[in-house]
This record gives sequence, C-alpha cells and structure tokens, in this order.
Amino acid sequence: MSNQRKRSNDEREEEDDEDAEGIGEWERAYVDDRSWEELQEDESGLLRPIDNSAIYHAQYRRRLRMLSAAAAGTRIQKGLIRYLYIVIDFSRAAAEMDFRPSRMAIMAKHVEAFIREFFDQNPLSQIGLVSIKNGVAHTLTDLGGSPETHIKALMGKLEALGDSSLQNALELVHEHLNQVPSYGHREVLILYSALCTCDPGDIMETIQKCKKSKLRCSVIGLSAEMFICKHLCQETGGLYSVAVDEVHLKDLLLEHAPPPPAIAEFAIANLIKMGFPQRAAEGSMAICSCHKEVKIGAGYMCPRCKARVCDLPTECTICGLTLVSSPHLARSYHHLFPIAPFDEVPALSSLNDNRRKLGKSCFGCQQSLIGAGNKPVPCVTCRKCKHYFCLDCDIYIHESLHNCPGCESIHRPKSVSLMEE
Amino acid sequence: MIFKIEDVTVYFPYDNIYPEQYEYMVELKRALDAKGHCLLEMPTGTGKTIALLSLITSYRLSRPDSPIKLVYCTRTVHEMEKTLGELKLLHDYQVRHLGTQAKILALGLSSRKNLCVNTKVLAAENRDSVDAACRKRTASWVRALSTENPNVELCDFFENYEKAAENALLPPGVYTLEDLRAFGKNRGWCPYFLARHMIQFANVIVYSYQYLLDPKVAGFISKELQKESVVVFDEAHNIDNVCIEALSVSVRRVTLEGANRNLNKIRQEIDRFKATDAGRLRAEYNRLVEGLALRGDLSGGDQWLANPALPHDILKEAVPGNIRRAEHFVHVLRRLLQYLGVRLDTENVEKESPVSFVSSLNSQAGIEQKTLKFCYDRLQSLMLTLEITDTDEFLPIQTVCDFATLVGTYARGFSIIIEPYDERMPHIPDPILQLSCHDASLAIKPVFDRFQSVVITSGTLSPIDLYPRLLNFTPVVSRSFKMSMTRDCICPMVLTRGSDQLPVSTKFDMRSDPGVVRNYGKLLVEMVSIVPDGVVCFFVSYSYMDGIIATWNETGILKEIMQQKLVFIETQDVVETTLALDNYRRACDCGRGAVFFSVARGKVAEGIDFDRHYGRLVVMYGVPFQYTLSKILRARLEYLHDTFQIKEGDFLTFDALRQAAQCVGRVIRSKADYGMMIFADKRYSRHDKRSKLPGWILSHLRDAHLNLSTDMAIHIAREFLRKMAQPYDKAGTMGRKTLLTQEDLEKMAETGVQDMAY
Repeated sequence: MSNQRKRSNDEREEEDDEDAEGIGEWERAYVDDRSWEELQEDESGLLRPIDNSAIYHAQYRRRLRMLSAAAAGTRIQKGLIRYLYIVIDFSRAAAEMDFRPSRMAIMAKHVEAFIREFFDQNPLSQIGLVSIKNGVAHTLTDLGGSPETHIKALMGKLEALGDSSLQNALELVHEHLNQVPSYGHREVLILYSALCTCDPGDIMETIQKCKKSKLRCSVIGLSAEMFICKHLCQETGGLYSVAVDEVHLKDLLLEHAPPPPAIAEFAIANLIKMGFPQRAAEGSMAICSCHKEVKIGAGYMCPRCKARVCDLPTECTICGLTLVSSPHLARSYHHLFPIAPFDEVPALSSLNDNRRKLGKSCFGCQQSLIGAGNKPVPCVTCRKCKHYFCLDCDIYIHESLHNCPGCESIHRPKSVSLMEE
Repeated sequence: MIFKIEDVTVYFPYDNIYPEQYEYMVELKRALDAKGHCLLEMPTGTGKTIALLSLITSYRLSRPDSPIKLVYCTRTVHEMEKTLGELKLLHDYQVRHLGTQAKILALGLSSRKNLCVNTKVLAAENRDSVDAACRKRTASWVRALSTENPNVELCDFFENYEKAAENALLPPGVYTLEDLRAFGKNRGWCPYFLARHMIQFANVIVYSYQYLLDPKVAGFISKELQKESVVVFDEAHNIDNVCIEALSVSVRRVTLEGANRNLNKIRQEIDRFKATDAGRLRAEYNRLVEGLALRGDLSGGDQWLANPALPHDILKEAVPGNIRRAEHFVHVLRRLLQYLGVRLDTENVEKESPVSFVSSLNSQAGIEQKTLKFCYDRLQSLMLTLEITDTDEFLPIQTVCDFATLVGTYARGFSIIIEPYDERMPHIPDPILQLSCHDASLAIKPVFDRFQSVVITSGTLSPIDLYPRLLNFTPVVSRSFKMSMTRDCICPMVLTRGSDQLPVSTKFDMRSDPGVVRNYGKLLVEMVSIVPDGVVCFFVSYSYMDGIIATWNETGILKEIMQQKLVFIETQDVVETTLALDNYRRACDCGRGAVFFSVARGKVAEGIDFDRHYGRLVVMYGVPFQYTLSKILRARLEYLHDTFQIKEGDFLTFDALRQAAQCVGRVIRSKADYGMMIFADKRYSRHDKRSKLPGWILSHLRDAHLNLSTDMAIHIAREFLRKMAQPYDKAGTMGRKTLLTQEDLEKMAETGVQDMAY
C-alpha cells in the first residue's frame, strides 16, 4: 500500500512540474492527504513516521477483552454456518474522493480481502453480493462458497451512479435469505457510502420484516452516522460502525469475519445432514453440475447422487445435500474454543527477575524480550502455561494460530482436559 | 445518591452526577442561605432542572422549622410537564430513603383549557372562550339563579367541589396536569379550582411566567404565596421581553370598534338593571366610596382582578367620584374611546410620553389622570355587578381600560407611539396606537420585593452582568457554568467567506448582493451532501428568508439541495409549520434526510428541539438583529441609554447574540448528542460579537475555526462527523472525569470544592 502511495505521489510531482498553473489543485491534494500528520519528530529533530504499533496493540487487546468478556459469562453458541449477503452501495456518493483514489475502489479492494478472510475463517459458510446503483439493488452473485467467483463479479464493473436505496437492498436480500435453511445464520453486511436513502415505501416495515426473519444486519458507514442505519442495526442485532480512514475501514470489515454469537432463538441444537465428497480422480472427465461444463479432473463427487461439483463447500445442485470437507469443519472448530486472552506483564523492574528466570525470549518466536538499552519489551503471558510471548506472537496466536504453543507443548492429556472444561 | 453540601444533605435520584450539577447546587445553596436572588447560566442538557429541584427540596427537608415553598415558572405547558415528571422521580427517591416525612405536595397549574374536565366547556375552541364557558356555569349569581330555575346549566364538577368545601384537599404527592385531571374526574371535583385552592398548601408549584409577571393575573393567583418562597424562572433568557410584554398594550381600530359595541351592551344592561334591580347599582356605588381595598368581600368567591402594579396606597383610596356611578363611568369611557379614535386618525408617526398624553387627554376629553388609573378595576367591578359572564366578548373594552390604567399609573418607562401604517407596507393604512413599556424591571419588581429568593436560570444568559441591569436587581450569586464533556460533541464554526473567498454577511448593504446569496446557497449545497439526517437553517427574518429562497429557486440551488435532502420551510401559520415539522422529523427518521428553513425569533427557534438526528448541523445565516427602524425599539434603546447607561449597540448585539445562541443551542439537548453550528457571517469573527456568546459555546470555538471559508468548513465537518460516529466511553477517561460517583463527591468535599476541574 505504501508503495502504491509513493508511486502516485511521484506521478503527481511529475505532473506538477509540467504545468505550474495547477497550484490550487496540487495543494488541495496534499491538504486532503494530510501526510504530515503521519510524521513526528524524534529527539534529534529527525522526521520519522509515527510508531503506531503500541496503539494498535492496545486497540487489539481491547477488542480481545471485549470478545472474551462476552464469552466469559455463559458458553456462547456461535453460528458456524453463515449465509452472508454483502451489500455494496455504488450510488453517487461512492465516487467521492475522500478515500483515495475513491470510496468505490477502496470498498472493492477491502471487500475482496474480506471475502478471502471470511472463507478462511468460515469454510462452511456462503456469501452473496448485492450492489445498489441508481436507486435499484442488483444481485451480483448468488450465495456460493467460492471466493473467486464473487471477486470476479465484484471487480467486473466499478461505477457509481444515482441515488441509494436501503429499502430496495433489504427487500432483495430478504427475498434471497428467506429461502436458506433455518439452521444457517442469515446475515447482511452493508457498506453504505451515501448519506440518505430514497425509498419507494416505508422502510420501517422492511426493517421489521428483516427482524422477523432473523436477518442480522450490520452496516459500515463511510462518511457519517445515519439514524436509519443505527436503527436498523439496533433492531436486528447487528453492528453499526463508521470508518474514519482506510485502515479503520479494513479493521471494521474484518471484525465481521469471525462468526457472531448465535441469536437466542437459534440456540437450539440442530442436526444437519452433510456429505463428505471424494475428490474425483485425476484425468477423469465429467460435466460439472454447477457450471454445466465439461471438466477434466479437479472436482468432487456427491456421495449421495454422484453428481460432480467444482468447489467445496457447497450444496449439491441435484440432491440438495450440504457438501463439505473435513478440514473445513476442523477450521471452524476453533471459534467454539477460543484461547483465553493473555495477561499483560506490567513493565515493572521488580518483575524483571522473575522474567529472567523463565527466559528472556518470547516462547513463540524466540526473540529476546529485552530490547535495546536493556529495556524490557512489553510482553504478555499465558494464564495456563505461564510462558511469555511478544506482542507480535500474541496477535498471531489469537488471530491465526488459535492454539497456544506453550500449552500444546506441555502435557498433551492435560491440555485436552483443560480444553474441555 | 445522597451527599452533603455543607450542612444540607442532598438527595439526588441518580447514581452519578455531573460536576457542573454539583457546582450549580453549591452556588444555589449559597444563594438560599443568603436569602438573596441569583442568576445561573448552565447549558441545556446538563440536568439543570433536576439539580435545582433536588437541592431545593433537600434544603427544605434540612430546615424543617422554616419550610420554604418552591415556585417554579416555565415558559410552556410542555416544559411544565417535564419538570413535574422529574420532580416525581425525585420525590419517589426521597420517600424511599426518608419515609413519609419527605412527602410533599407538588402540582402544576395551568389555564382552564388545560385543566378542565367538563366536556361541554372543553368544546370551546380557544382559551378565552373556555374561560367564559366556565364562568357561565360557575359564577355565583348563575348558581344562585339555578336554585330558582332548574334549567340553568351548572358544572357538576364545580358543584361537587363546592359541596366538599373545606374537605376538598389533595393528598400529598406530585401531580402533573394529567394527574390532576384524573384525580378530578375520579372524585368529581373540578381540577382547576381545586388546584387553585391547593396552591396555598402546596410545597412546590409549577406554573407559567404569566401567573407571576402579568399584573392582571398575578394578583388573584399568586397573592397567597408567602415570603419564604423560592421563585425560579427557568429558560429565562427572554425574561425581559416577557416583562415588557406584560405591561404593553396596543390598540387598533378594530379594538376601538369592539370596545364601542361593548359599551353599548353595558349601557343596555345598566338600563335593564335600573328598571329591575336599582338597589344593586346603589350598593356598588356605596362600596366604591369605601375604597377598593375592601372589595375582598364582594359577592363572595368570585375572583376580583387585583393589580399589583398599582402602588398600595391607591388600593386604599376611594374611587374618584366621577366614575362611581355606572352611567358616568360609561360616559367617561366613551369620551376616552372618542379621543383615541381621533388620535388614530393621524397621518404621521407620533411619539409621546405618558405625561403629555395624559395632559392632552385631560384638556381635550376632560379625563384626569386619577380617573384613568382606576379604569381597569372600575370596569371589573361593573362587570361583576352587571353579572356579565361572557368575558371573552368584552376583551376590547378590557384592553382599552388596561391601557388607560397603565397610562394613568406610570409616568416613566413608557411611551406612546402612534403609527398610521406598518413601516414595511406603507401603502396599507393600519393605524395602531401602542403603549410600550421600556423598563423590564417594572413588572418583575414586585416579585423581587416579595419573595426571599428569586432564581433566574437558562442555558444562555450571556453576558451575565447585563441581566441585573436590565431587571434592576442585585444578585448575590451570578455564575456561568461550563459543560464538562467526555468528548467535544459540539463544533461551532464561524464562516466568514464563501467558496470564492469573498466575505459573506447579511449586513444591510450586502444582503441583496447576488454573490453573497450564491455563497450562502453553495454552503448549504455542500453541507447537505456531507451531513446525515437533519439540517436546520436559521435566517434573520421572514422577508429575508423568502427573498433568499426565491433566488435559490431561480438559480437552481434549491434543486441541488433537494437532490440530497427534502426542504421544509417555517411559515407564520402555526398549523402549517407544525405539519412541516412533523414531516421533517419523518424524513429524518426514515433516512431521506431533510433541511428545515426557519427564522430566528420565530416559534421554532424558541420552543422546538432539534436534538439527535433531527439536527446534526445548524446554520445561522447572518446576525439576527432586531428591526432597528422600529419605533418601539428606538424608544426602548433611548430609555435604556438614559436610565441604565446601556449603550444602544451593546444592547442590540446582546439581543442578537442571545437569539443566535438560542437558535444554535437547539441542536444539543444532552451530552450523548452531538452537532455542528455554523455562524455564517463575517461579523461573528469580531471580538465584540463573539464574546457575547455563552461560555459553553465559546469554549469549543477554536481559534482555527474563526475565519473559515466554505471548503475549509466542509473539511472540518467531515472529520468531525466521522469522529463523532465512533463509539465512546460515557464515564469519561481518566483525565476528564465527567460523571461523579458518591465516592468522588466525598473525596471532593474533603479537598474543597475549589480544586475542581475548572
């Protein structure tokens, strides 16, 4: 990203050299950019970028604590099978340039990243895409489990036109999601860049309809807080947030990747019939049931009706069986048993002795926890195995690994019993 | 929470308290201790009312030997209900903690229209006809008549109330108007008369300003309040205008015509009485000889409109001989009407002092000052004697008598202005004779003199040193409190230049400049595209608003605005405006977004809140100066300059800025709310104007926001709205504590209040 920005800056400078009259224009570009705010002066008077890592880590800790606090009281059920519609507002307001190069491009870029992250975390779930343009909602893709098709459809044609209509989008999504099986969690994530909605009817009724069908609607605004969005989220139990800048937008989007706690009415246990298809033999030829094309190799066979499908997870188009692979199930599993957040180690010198005994390095990456000038680097400790970890490893363990290396490396049976507590 | 302020234990119904509420209570308590008057400014949305109520009721509890009474004056019925609602909450809390000894009687009092439960009376459309309909059923002679003639209609509720006599009492508790009506319906007692009767026993009374300030009603409603009362005027930033209006009268041609008709009717009645019941008129004559002070025992029970604006010795005087007889009085009034009619015929604008008016009246119509003074009371007496119940029909003659009494009583602080036509429409003859009061202290003086403590409080009382001068009193405490905020939830900006960098202003020589109009329009177009939900714009006057909207319509700016948001406009018609407001709110609710165009000093600017998403941005176009060519304003300015040494410019700016502050203050009604305020006029950047804004706005007005152009304002607005949309921590972070718990307060009491955050 920083590379990109640098390049665009270079380009701009070249342009400026060419025509000296456009001073107002280039000035405005820098005023909007406010790049100087990302710099600070160090002790020797040199300019260097602000070190945000400490702040980011604090933010991350807060988020983690919030999540675990919610989970602490009762064991929370999570909806692992999610049917998520992403609604992207491509109305006139999406062409605004306050996000560079434009809101539209930024939205598309981060939605792409989100889709990949989403399928990584929720392999059993499906996504569909809807766009709003000219006051009308269009289905870009139907519910499906393949990230590539969604991304391709999304990037297809980016243009921003006309008004925005929240009601039309909700109606369309409601229609689609009403058909999904009841064990799945129906969610809508709306990226809304406009500040008003031109609706054909009473939106309040539509909101009530969504509430009745248990659609969880979340909205990410791109410019300011809107009452109707807030109301929608409050009514349907979703999250409402407004992005301050591009980085924030990315964070807000990714917050929606892990599965949300199940709505109370859904919290009854449910048995779902699933098929675990076998991968077709290399070189075998068949017509796949999803694209109606002849494919050689690469594909899976439904165990019930023997139809061929291209991607997993999906629903067999012939017999309607949910098709998954076992790694998908395993990957979803960690949401149910998150590792407890690590405790922060206070940076007091008295604790230094204690730390020295245990070793001066992070248990995860083996880097020294004593930084330059013998100053201790801030670090965290696992409650169970009492090993120390550096901040990077902390984030890695909680967000990607979902296993504590310390706990895993001691007694195998004990850690299992701990997990089942 | 329960805590101590010096020797008073305060019962506060919430678990947390804002620091400024605590400060407010401390100052208020000092004023009560000193038995003096005070002036307190605290921004709206900081819980002023509950702080005030809980301190005063707690103060009462801590001094059981000298119980004080709280008289709480509000501007509107809506505010009255809100205050009583909070009091109810507080009362429940106190009773829970203290038991029955904390029980108080608190009630709201309003006009018959709001309190009556008789469906037939309520069918009348306005306040005056409801009053008249009530009198028709409850006047003593009507009731006397009904014993002989069963066909005369009476009010059952009033009869039941009369029957219960001394036993008609309200049990302790807090009664809103709704509660009173329910209680009355339940028992079959008239809530209005019950409430009026209970005033003398109540610990807390909530009613409108008029009941204390308007001499015509203050006498019979508020005469029984004891000296040990605390009088609170809430939202009192316009109190001087209320005072002045209470003592100003205007007479038009229609008034005179109506008064003539009234006199004819009175004449007929007198003749009828002479023929049937001459003794009555004679009895009245005798009473009048004895003097007005004795009138208390006149035809028992019927109210007699007293006039506290009259000096006391007058009340003891006998009514002058030439108006004691009814027909003579009618003659005097006829001459007065004739004289006024002649004066209204003038071609030129005339301005006179009451003294010269009275002397010319004396020489031309032969009515002397002393006679004039008694007109109002004499008329009331006559109407009672003649058993007239349709008081609403007799309003014109009452107005004329009111005028006569005021002219006769005051030699200073008034002037009489006769205008043959309205300045703004010189071709339409509409003569008007105005007796305008210039001295706000005249109406409020009896209140200051009579009661131990008078508290004047509002969200905008800046500059706070001007009010004591205008109202002519010495406060023991006058303070302005700031708002402690968890985040900077208001963002005031002064916009001096448009997008083309040319200055913008509504100054007279600039207001019609197409460049200024275009710049104002462009500002709004840009703003509606980045501000969500509701936007409110205030203009300096109706005519200016009409003009600018017409131009915007021609140049297509209005169309551009409509693409983003719907446009609603305030008109002088109340019904239309209410409808527009209603639809405006709906447009904000459903996410369409809306702009409301309104006028400073209008109804909307004074009484309607645009809180939360109903007002995310308010744009004040121009400085809302009064119409400075108005004769009345000129006369008042002159008087202020001569009597109180207040400079014309100072007063005008003060008045304009308090209106502006009032307008922009509409958007923020609580701490959780947020909103932007744009002062779009280059004159706001000058120090003499800006410094008159209330402290809570000034403290958020950064130097960098003092001289903005449209594009800079847009940038700031964008950032601000994004920042405010983020979730925040209500209790405040460590550095800025904005919610105090019991422990915090105890800690503070130890270290002393002085070390507080300020």
